[in-house]
Amino acid sequence: MKQLPVLIVLLPLFSALMIPLIPKRKNILFGFVSVIFSTLLILTILSYLNVLSYGSFRYVFGNYLAMVGIEFLIDPLIALLVMFVSGLSFLIVIYSFSDIQHELKEHQYAYYYSLIMLLMFSMLGMLYTNDIFNTYVFMEILSIVSTAIISIKHKRSNFLASFRYLMLSSIGSLTILMGLAFLYMVTGQLNMDSMAYVISNVWTLYPTNLVLAIGFILIGLAIKSAMFPLHIWLPDAHSSAPSPSSAFLSSIVVKIYIVVLIKVIYRIFGVDIISSLRIDDFILVMASFGMIFGSIFAIGQKDIKRLLAYSSVAQIGYIFLGVGLLTPVGLAAGLFHIFSHALMKSALFMSAGSIIYSTNKRKLIDLDGIGFKMPITLITFSIAALGMIGIPGISGFMSKIYLGLALISDKHPLFLSLILLSSFLNAIYYMPILISSFLKEDVLIKNSLQKDPLPLTMIIPMVIITLSVLLIGLYPQIIMDVIELALPYYF
Amino acid sequence: MIETLLKHTNYLGAIALFIIGLYTVLTHNNVLKKVIGINIMETSVFLFFVSIGMIQFGRAPIIKLNETDIVYVNPLPSALILTGIVVAVSITAYSLSLIIQLYREYGTLDLDKMLESKEEQE
Repeated sequence: MKQLPVLIVLLPLFSALMIPLIPKRKNILFGFVSVIFSTLLILTILSYLNVLSYGSFRYVFGNYLAMVGIEFLIDPLIALLVMFVSGLSFLIVIYSFSDIQHELKEHQYAYYYSLIMLLMFSMLGMLYTNDIFNTYVFMEILSIVSTAIISIKHKRSNFLASFRYLMLSSIGSLTILMGLAFLYMVTGQLNMDSMAYVISNVWTLYPTNLVLAIGFILIGLAIKSAMFPLHIWLPDAHSSAPSPSSAFLSSIVVKIYIVVLIKVIYRIFGVDIISSLRIDDFILVMASFGMIFGSIFAIGQKDIKRLLAYSSVAQIGYIFLGVGLLTPVGLAAGLFHIFSHALMKSALFMSAGSIIYSTNKRKLIDLDGIGFKMPITLITFSIAALGMIGIPGISGFMSKIYLGLALISDKHPLFLSLILLSSFLNAIYYMPILISSFLKEDVLIKNSLQKDPLPLTMIIPMVIITLSVLLIGLYPQIIMDVIELALPYYF
Repeated sequence: MIETLLKHTNYLGAIALFIIGLYTVLTHNNVLKKVIGINIMETSVFLFFVSIGMIQFGRAPIIKLNETDIVYVNPLPSALILTGIVVAVSITAYSLSLIIQLYREYGTLDLDKMLESKEEQE
């Protein structure tokens, strides 16, 4: 049981290396990938149950002291996130078995799954690690791999999107490294807990260094997690990528960077220092700009995947709003929205991918009457879209409730009105899709209810994700209890 | 003020290189120059990181047991930067391979022209 975190991190790494060695037939490849992912899921569930019953623990590599070596810290939240990420990725991977046959050539499948495995490796490592330089290394692997799963589709717009993403994310990671250098000047440590201990003792002596450090790290992570004015890479990258990659990037990868930011703000610096340096005001203002402008940009979009990408910018604003409040309730609301947005956005991207898969239509005006041709897909889309707007019974509503309560208890009523405004804007761009797909009629074909022209491997993941969106919407305590259990580790 | 700045010319150099690199990445339209800008930024960060561990008249950290009054430089930043260099090389290699593909598809290295022809296509 003690070795589980290492096994969880190393399993995707070794399978990424093994995929090129197995025979180049697609059934063998798909079987291998599903076996690896189901093993990963079982291991993460075991580790989660282990943490729930015995409490959080630290894993030290090679028996070196944490000060010298690298340390993993597994608290209930991280264990839940790891389980959630591997479960959601498993569903997206099952979905991708059919979808990539439409988007990639046959010899590229093995490359694609190698990249997906490396993606899993770096994300899980970033969640577990308690060492800041280790986080940086995982972050670089993640940024290269996440650009590679965009450029694997050999189209000119993909190369361009992935080049721009690569440039901006390298600027981001270099900025983070510069911030780490400033932090290292003050502390001389790389372990997060030792850093926190040193900073809490000496921070009045080196205010300039700490401001520079948090500034550099915040801007770097803001580029990578698409905080509002630095989101310019996101729409191109997420809309041109193959649909499973878009689901990965938009629902999981961006959230991992936010978790790293949460670790830096709450664990390394601590709430008191951040609020006395007035970093939280910056985060709140940028988050609320993102909430409003992301939605406004989404209104003008004609392409369904671009619309979803801009919607991500707005939803990331909600998460930052919760994180920037620096209160336990706010952090809990932000974390809850990480889960609910990941589920809803992957459902949205999967159903948009299914529409493109079966009809080859991406433009919003072509979607008239599509709800009758693909009922399950469009019901998935509608439930997730209504969740984004905030209809009760869906997880998006609960995250808005938690966020609103956190804002009221922290006396920020202005931001509450911004949430309302952003919800109305969400309705403005999501409702036309629902109306045209269910209430309008195609010019050529009369509306008659048909079965979805999709393989089962695409329908089942969408249905499971929709059911879990509804489940979390009706019983938010499933996730909220764990978050509350984990909050003491962050304050 | 000036005296402290002159004492720490390494920091000044690192910051100047960082700004030059950032300016190159953000303002140049040529994709190759953007990659060069990224490389300059990387160099500046490496210079800064390594010079943190530097102590004047410090020796390489090969510990001699019977001499206790020797000052050693901090080896950890240099070790970290080795990792950083590996990462930087891989990013450069990947972005250069992307540039080859971009040139094959668009026939130009100018980012603005690429964006224009992409819009025409749509």
